[in-house]
Amino acid sequence: METVVRMGEASASRTAGDTLACIGLGSCIGLALVDRAKGVAALAHVMLPETTQPDPPQPHKFADLAVPSLIAMAVAQGASRVRLEACLVGGAAMFSFGGSGQDIGQRNDHAVTKLLDEHRIPVRATATGGSKGRTIRVSVGADITITVREAGGIEEHLLGAVAAGKAALV
Amino acid sequence: MTTFSDMQLDALRELANIGSGNAGTALGSMLGKSVDISVPTAAALPLAEAVAIAGEPDELRYGVVVPIVGDFEAIVVLLFPEADAQKLCGIYGIEPSTPDGCSMLGEVGNILGTNYINVLAQMVGMELEPEPPQVVEDMLGSILSSVLIGRGDDVEEALILDSDLLVEDENCSLSFLLLPNHGGIKELLGRLGL
Repeated sequence: METVVRMGEASASRTAGDTLACIGLGSCIGLALVDRAKGVAALAHVMLPETTQPDPPQPHKFADLAVPSLIAMAVAQGASRVRLEACLVGGAAMFSFGGSGQDIGQRNDHAVTKLLDEHRIPVRATATGGSKGRTIRVSVGADITITVREAGGIEEHLLGAVAAGKAALV
Repeated sequence: MTTFSDMQLDALRELANIGSGNAGTALGSMLGKSVDISVPTAAALPLAEAVAIAGEPDELRYGVVVPIVGDFEAIVVLLFPEADAQKLCGIYGIEPSTPDGCSMLGEVGNILGTNYINVLAQMVGMELEPEPPQVVEDMLGSILSSVLIGRGDDVEEALILDSDLLVEDENCSLSFLLLPNHGGIKELLGRLGL
């Protein structure tokens, strides 16, 4: 079953054959955490770097709340905290709306990366920045694979199972 | 959880009706063709659902984004399916994927956005000004989500005023969205006495 993780949402699974996807990421970040030994994956669709209010209704909107919460979701599905690995997709700068300093995509990317570092979770692959939208798909199973597709492009592997002669599963 | 009353949404829908009527007339005279406008919808939606209003998140669209600044901040977004962008540019014998084509789509955004907000500005006595249009070809979800959080504001729901324009003869349609920022919309409703 494919679960589409929409803006500000998160989902986790250990059911082989499940897919978790963030479709059409722009400046948002699709953050995937996986325990490949246990076949557990979790995916969050992060919109903003920092919480702006106490106890927000959608904690996964914010990097600072999404990272610890997503770790807990993965662990609750049976992942081992120390085996978690991360992939980041998104954080594009599609438009410039004036404003000050860094664009929101880059700030999201930096916030998530910094938090993963603080939680000592290694980042195995990223497809971030640039100006194009992207889709991330995480296939759950004994052999977890993560793919990314840019707008108008083809699906490329970010993590796992590019076994001999098996190119991108378009 | 919506923060707008039915009466407020009705008033906004009426504003959108007048704005898009004016915008459609302006586009029609630029193209020398008649332009039909659907009855607009006004909806306040949670962000996760707001993206779905215009279609599937992974569909490719040409998007023209016109930021509105002044007494009221908002973003105008035009969305063209590729075939419709081609038909529209085809009126002038150009391709949408070329720099000329992008410029043409940007100009359509400029004309529609400016005429739409000019009427709003006159009706409510606000100073409003469009910024230069930005044209992209990307996934619908990427375009809308990036616009919705474009300035990095935290909003729970998006107010979307949505009209469809149809260029007759060419059978070419586009979606016109006005996404006001939250403070701006309160100000606008305040001036209308709502």
